[in-house]
Amino acid sequence: MDEPRFVFFGGKGGVGKTTVSSAFGLRCARSGQRTLLVSTDPAHSTGDLFDQPFTDAPQPVDGYDNLEAMEIDPATEVDAHLQQLKRELGTQMSAAVVNEVDLQLEMAHRTPGAHEAALFDRFIDVMRDADPYDRVVFDTSPTGGTLRLLSLPDLLEGWIDRLIAKREQSIELYERAAIGNRAPRRQLDGDPVIARLQDRRKRFVFARDTLQDAARFHLVMNPDSLSLRETERALETLKEYELPIGPIVINKITPSPEAHEDGRGGRYLRQRCASERARMQEARDSLPVEVGAEIESRVQDVTGDVLEEVAAELDLPVGGQPA
Amino acid sequence: MSLTTRIATFRRAIERWLLARFGDTWVEEWARGLYHGMISHPAYEKIELEAEDLEDAFMVACFPDAFGIPSPVSYYTAELLPYLETEFGAWERRMWDRQSLIERKGRQYHF
Repeated sequence: MDEPRFVFFGGKGGVGKTTVSSAFGLRCARSGQRTLLVSTDPAHSTGDLFDQPFTDAPQPVDGYDNLEAMEIDPATEVDAHLQQLKRELGTQMSAAVVNEVDLQLEMAHRTPGAHEAALFDRFIDVMRDADPYDRVVFDTSPTGGTLRLLSLPDLLEGWIDRLIAKREQSIELYERAAIGNRAPRRQLDGDPVIARLQDRRKRFVFARDTLQDAARFHLVMNPDSLSLRETERALETLKEYELPIGPIVINKITPSPEAHEDGRGGRYLRQRCASERARMQEARDSLPVEVGAEIESRVQDVTGDVLEEVAAELDLPVGGQPA
Repeated sequence: MSLTTRIATFRRAIERWLLARFGDTWVEEWARGLYHGMISHPAYEKIELEAEDLEDAFMVACFPDAFGIPSPVSYYTAELLPYLETEFGAWERRMWDRQSLIERKGRQYHF
């Protein structure tokens, strides 16, 4: 099996990432691979799709072999992180300083990037504990957030390196200042701050290596010009971060009417189809990656049998031997 | 008897004599004070000031939100807070207290 273990689906909001990633997960499971579907959508749409509530621990999807799913809620993650730190704060610090630091802590968890950071953290956890699965499919949040998320390892690694260097320099000076029998104000040996930073660093290095070597990114788009532009931009960003890009999935293609239908609906559909075909042709010609799958729009919400149909249309390589 | 051991013996003899003669008197107190004020303190004070400056830079890099600058890493650096108790307090005090870079760096030189 040379298909990468981690597959990410991204795209603008509403293009059908959840549908496509669920369908892909289903295909993988059908081909006999133990598959985990990870959703980051706070609206719990994966749960709606399979008509079954999921939590942030993987659990088997009813009615499908080899398929498990989990839903990560960024807000809950941020909150859990905050509570955990507050507990640590209570055990480490004297009550007098706790209030000051508490304020700083609250602030850090309300910054715009907190949700992304929390999500990213959970992604790393999932990737680290992926041993029981042959394939992990990530249904990511809309484009901007996701791309930022995936660009984090490089950025954060550099930042943490600088932080470690600064901390080491200052401690070194403190140690040097400790002449005679004076005890240095800080000690490099066993410094918990450096230890934690290094621990973080290791996680980011792992994330970067995994994302570059064992992952693939599929963008999902709809056949309209807005979606096409967005996809072009997203592709550029992915390339910039040197992340491996897989074929594009075009979703929600309007089915064409029968030739004899010439009512208002028929004409509308025909025009609509023509413009979509043009966009799709443009996508095939201008995008730097191939279009891997084209999926027709459905009348009903995608659940159960419809998901099976979509899975049948979603012709992306799943690797492994079909069971 | 080598030269070094002879010097050491001689030094110990002088220390013993000084301690017996001036120990616990105002002379010892003054001598210690002078040594501290003229030699040891200026030596490590400057190094510690520089170390504090570096530590401040570290803290600003960790918690720029304290100055209203949003940072993509503050979510992660918040994990360090439980271990930065003394640093955090001292940092805040120094930030309140700071006038200018020239003032701060100037203090590290005795003209």
